[in-house]
Amino acid sequence: MNVAADPWVWVAAILTLAVFSFLYRENPFYRFAEHLFVGVSNGYAITFYFHRILMPYLIEPVSHGRDLWLIAIAMVGMLYFTRFIPKVSWLVRIPIAVVLGYSSGAYIPRAIDAQILQQLRATIVTRSSFATTLAGPGWQLGVWSIIIALGVIATVTYFFFSAEQKGILKPISRIGIIFIMVGFGASFGYTVMARISLFIGRLQFLLGDWLGLLR
Amino acid sequence: MTPQTGREKRGFWDRLLLVDRRWLYVVIWLVVMVPMLFPFDIKPEAMPPVRKLFEYIDSMPEDKSLVISVDYTPDTRPELHPMAIAALRHGFATKRRVGVLCLNTVMSLGLAEGALRQVSEEFNSRATTREDSIINGEDYVFWGWSYPIITVLLGMGERITRVFPVDYYGHRTESLPIMASLKNYDDMGIVVCIAGSSIPLSWVNYAHTQFGCQIGCGITAVSAADFYPYLNSGQFTGMLAGMKGAAEYEELVSEKMVELGYEWDLPRKGTEAMSSQTAAHLAIMAFLIIGNIAFFITRRRKQ
Amino acid sequence: MKRRIPLILVLVLGIFAAIAFVVPHPSVRGVDDVMRNDVLRIIGAFSLVLGVGSIIRHHYMKIKRKAEHWPYSWVTLSTLVVSAILGLFGGIDPNAPGVLFRAGGVGQFLSNFHMQTLYDNIMVPLAATMFALLAFFMASAAYRAFRARNLEATLLLVAAFVLMLGAVPLGRMLIKPLPAFAEWILTVPNTAAKRGIMFGVGLGTIATSLKIILGIERGWLGGGGS
Repeated sequence: MNVAADPWVWVAAILTLAVFSFLYRENPFYRFAEHLFVGVSNGYAITFYFHRILMPYLIEPVSHGRDLWLIAIAMVGMLYFTRFIPKVSWLVRIPIAVVLGYSSGAYIPRAIDAQILQQLRATIVTRSSFATTLAGPGWQLGVWSIIIALGVIATVTYFFFSAEQKGILKPISRIGIIFIMVGFGASFGYTVMARISLFIGRLQFLLGDWLGLLR
Repeated sequence: MTPQTGREKRGFWDRLLLVDRRWLYVVIWLVVMVPMLFPFDIKPEAMPPVRKLFEYIDSMPEDKSLVISVDYTPDTRPELHPMAIAALRHGFATKRRVGVLCLNTVMSLGLAEGALRQVSEEFNSRATTREDSIINGEDYVFWGWSYPIITVLLGMGERITRVFPVDYYGHRTESLPIMASLKNYDDMGIVVCIAGSSIPLSWVNYAHTQFGCQIGCGITAVSAADFYPYLNSGQFTGMLAGMKGAAEYEELVSEKMVELGYEWDLPRKGTEAMSSQTAAHLAIMAFLIIGNIAFFITRRRKQ
Repeated sequence: MKRRIPLILVLVLGIFAAIAFVVPHPSVRGVDDVMRNDVLRIIGAFSLVLGVGSIIRHHYMKIKRKAEHWPYSWVTLSTLVVSAILGLFGGIDPNAPGVLFRAGGVGQFLSNFHMQTLYDNIMVPLAATMFALLAFFMASAAYRAFRARNLEATLLLVAAFVLMLGAVPLGRMLIKPLPAFAEWILTVPNTAAKRGIMFGVGLGTIATSLKIILGIERGWLGGGGS
C-alpha cells in the first residue's frame, strides 16, 4: 500500500467520497460538493472564454488600434447582458438571432447531404453491396444489406402515423417494432457498459492514485 | 407443500423484490472492486470497427497528420480518456504529426492537456535522441478550443491559423514549424473525434460532407449503437465504442509499439478495467434475472 | 420592432449561410469568413453571460430569500469568483503565469498551483463521480423496473444480454462466436432500426431549422416584448 502524499490527491479523494455519500442518502457533504462543482466549473469557463476568445479576437487587435469595427460586434454581444434588465430584455434576441440564423442556414444543406442523402445511398441495395471485402464474403454482406434495407422500411413504417396501421402496413410495422426493440436492447446493453465504466474509473482513482493498491 | 411453506416462500420472494437499494449498491461496489484488486488475465480481441480505425491510421500516407478532437468532459473520462491516450501513443510511435483540439466545450481542455502531457512525457523520458523525442510545435500542436463549432469546422477547411491564431499555451500558431505542413483538412489523414456527445456527427456534417475529410470516432458506449448507421455508410472510417473499444484499441496500439521497438510496459486503463467490467456485467444480468423471477413468482401468487 | 428585427436578422443570415455553401464567389466567401471568424465568435463568446448570469442570479436570490439550503449558495458564488480570478489573473499555462503568480504577485507562494490543478483535482473528481452514481441507479433500475412482460420487452432484454456478454472477454471464453454475434446485432438489425429513426430525426431537425429561418418557429424569442 502506497498512499498518495500529494495533498491535492487527497482533496480529489475526499470530494469523490463526498459525492459517493449520496448513495447512502442526501447529506451536507454531497450538497457542498455539488455546489462547489457549479462554482469552479463556471470560473473555469470564464477563464477560457476570456483568454482564448475575447483576448485574441477582440481585446488584442482593438488595443493595438486594429479592426476597430470589432467594438461594434462586441456591443452586439454585450446585448446578452440585457437578459437581466427587464425593461430592455428583448434586446437579448438580437445576438441570439445572429448565431441562430447563421447556424441554421449553414446546417440545412449539409445535413440534407450527410443525414439524409448519404444514409439513403447506404440503404439502397446495389450490385456493389454483394462485393467481397475484408468484412466478409460478398453473398453474406449482400444478405445483410437486404436485411438492413427491409429493416429501415419496416421501422419507418412503424412511425408512419398518417394512415391507420391496417392491411399490409400492420405486419410491416410489426416487423419494424422487432427491429426497434433489438436496437433499443443493443443501446441498453451498451449503456450498462458505459455506466459501469464510469464507476470503474472512480475506483481506479481511489484504489490506485489515492491508496496505491493498484499497479 | 403446506400452506405454511407457501407463505414462507412468498415472503422470501417479496422480501427479495423489496430489498433496500443500498444492498444492491454494495453488491455493485464489491463486484467492481474485487476484480480490480485481483484481476484475471485478459487479452482484448479487436472487433472490425476498431480494427478499421487502427488500420486506417496505420496505413495513411506519411505526409498526412493525425488530428484528435478531444470532445469529452470529466464525466465520461474513464471510458474515453484511454482512447485519447492510445491514439496519441499510436500517432507518436508511428512518427505522425499530431494536431489536438477541443471542439465542443471548454471543459475538455484540461483532459486534452493532461493526455498530451502524459504521453509526451512517456516518450521524452525514454528518448535518447531528437528522433525519439516529442516536441511541442514540431511533432504536435495543441490548438486548444475555440467557439462556435461551425466557425472551427468550416474554418479548418481553409486555414487553421485563422481559426486558432494562438495555441493552448498562447504561442502564435503561425510561428510553429508544424503548421507549415498542417494548413487545413487537405493535410489531415484522419480526424478522430473522441466524444461523449453527438459531436462526431458535426464532424461528419461539415468536415466530411463539405471537405471529404476522413472521420473516425471514439464514443461513449451510451451512444455507440446510434452511430452504427454512419459506420455502415462509410461516413465514419472506424469507431471505438466505450471502454471495450478503448481496450481493443489499446491492445492493437500496444502490439504495434512492440513491433516498432517500443517495448515499454505502459499503463492501459481500458484493458485493466476489463476484469471489473466483466464481473459487473454478470452482476447486472443476475439482477435482471432475479428481479424478473421474483416479479413473476409474486405476481402469479397474487393472481 | 421587438420581434421583427430579430426575425429579419434570422431570415437574412440564414439565407446567406445556406447560399455561402453553394456559391464559391470570393466576395461571398470573404463575407462568410468574417461572419464566422469575427462576428459569430465574438458574439458567441458573450453568450456565456447567459449561463453564468443565470447561476449568479439564482444563487443570489436563494441567499436573499434564505431559501432551503441557502448557505450552500455561498459555496457556489465564492468558488466561482475565486476560480475566475485565479484563471483570469493567474493565467492558463503554468509555464507562462499571469500577474497573480509572477514574482511579486500574491499567488507566487502557491507553487505548482494553477487552473489545471483546480481542474484535475476538483472538477474532474466531482463531475466523474456524479456520473459514476448512474452505475448504481442503473443497477437498481435493472433489478426493480426491467420486466420481460411481453415479446417486445423480452426481445429487448435478450439483445441487451447478448451485448453485455459479448462486450466482455468472458463472453468469448464461454461461447466463441458471441462477440461476433453481438457485433452483427449492432451492424445489421440495430443499424436498420437506428437509421429508420434517424431519418425521422434528421428530417425533423432540418424542418425545424427551416422554420426558424422562415420565422414560423418562434419559441427562441421567448416571452415578453411583442
